Amino acid sequence: MAEKHKRAPMVDEVSEFEVLEIAVRELAIEKGLFTAEDHQHWTEYMHTLGPLPAARLVAKAWLDPEYKKLAVKDGVKASLDVGVDWVNSMPTKFGTPSDYCNLRVLEDTPKLKHVVVCTLCSCYPRPILGQSPEWYRTPNYRRRLVRWPRQVLAEFGLQLPEDVEVRVEDSNQKSRFIVLPVRPEGTEGWTEDQLAEIVTRDCLIGVAQPRPGKTVNDPRPVRPAINPYKH
Amino acid sequence: MSKPHYDREHHVKKATGIGDPQCFKGEAGPAKFKVGDKVRIKDLPDIFYSRTQVYTRGAPATVAELVYESPAAEDESWDNTDNPVWFYSVVFKQKDLWPDYPDTFANDTVETELPERWLEPL
Repeated sequence: MAEKHKRAPMVDEVSEFEVLEIAVRELAIEKGLFTAEDHQHWTEYMHTLGPLPAARLVAKAWLDPEYKKLAVKDGVKASLDVGVDWVNSMPTKFGTPSDYCNLRVLEDTPKLKHVVVCTLCSCYPRPILGQSPEWYRTPNYRRRLVRWPRQVLAEFGLQLPEDVEVRVEDSNQKSRFIVLPVRPEGTEGWTEDQLAEIVTRDCLIGVAQPRPGKTVNDPRPVRPAINPYKH
Repeated sequence: MSKPHYDREHHVKKATGIGDPQCFKGEAGPAKFKVGDKVRIKDLPDIFYSRTQVYTRGAPATVAELVYESPAAEDESWDNTDNPVWFYSVVFKQKDLWPDYPDTFANDTVETELPERWLEPL
């Protein structure tokens, strides 16, 4: 079933924004706003990030009801237990306009399914989830998810019954969000390591449900660019 | 004529080691709304900068959580951190945002965060 659905396409292209980023970065270094070393420091920090701590957080929450309560109440504090310090592990030590220090963990129930989007830009809990996938940043996803959530989720292969409330979390201010999905059937007696493996990035954004045996995100097909960037 | 002084590092000094929005905790005063209150999103002018989505303007919502205190985006975008306000997580019924949202899925909702100044009691 998972292989039959129509997937949302991505575009294989170096965007003008990437070219612009290089130009602005070089200007900023030249003007002394930050140094090349600062930039390297940040880049290396960003490259250490990925979705594993968030998967671990979910696995721990499934196993420990007290930890789950803490995660839902204070995501920043709960992150410390999976090795993510939202304030002090960032090179700035206070967050940045794109990574503020307020994580909220959205708990799914059998009758409530959360899914995260940032309609205004691409806010994403990067300290605990790494860089966002490209589809998350596309206008296609951002514009349509708030308006047609069920149709967009269906494109990801997730079809939910009528009596399940779909709650779209539009991440527009200083909170960043991850989804704490319902623990799937067939995982009774599993260890934390086994559970963490099935909590994929897509499950943490909310566009997929964890299930035993599924440890990778569905591939997103790439459509060739109409006006490819000339290298 | 002396050069006007502007401390470009005031935010860094305030937030380092504490975090943003945590560094504004306790600065907004008493909150005007509480969890469960019905509110309507105001349609204020936003010619320079705002993070209040156009689709929420004028729509009724319910306060789900008081999330943190912080300057509103309209101020902070100009580096004005003098007036922190309460931020609320509010929940909209999809039907209230998009009148032709199918009745079959009447339970579906959208949740987002807004500063106090954008909310009025309903």
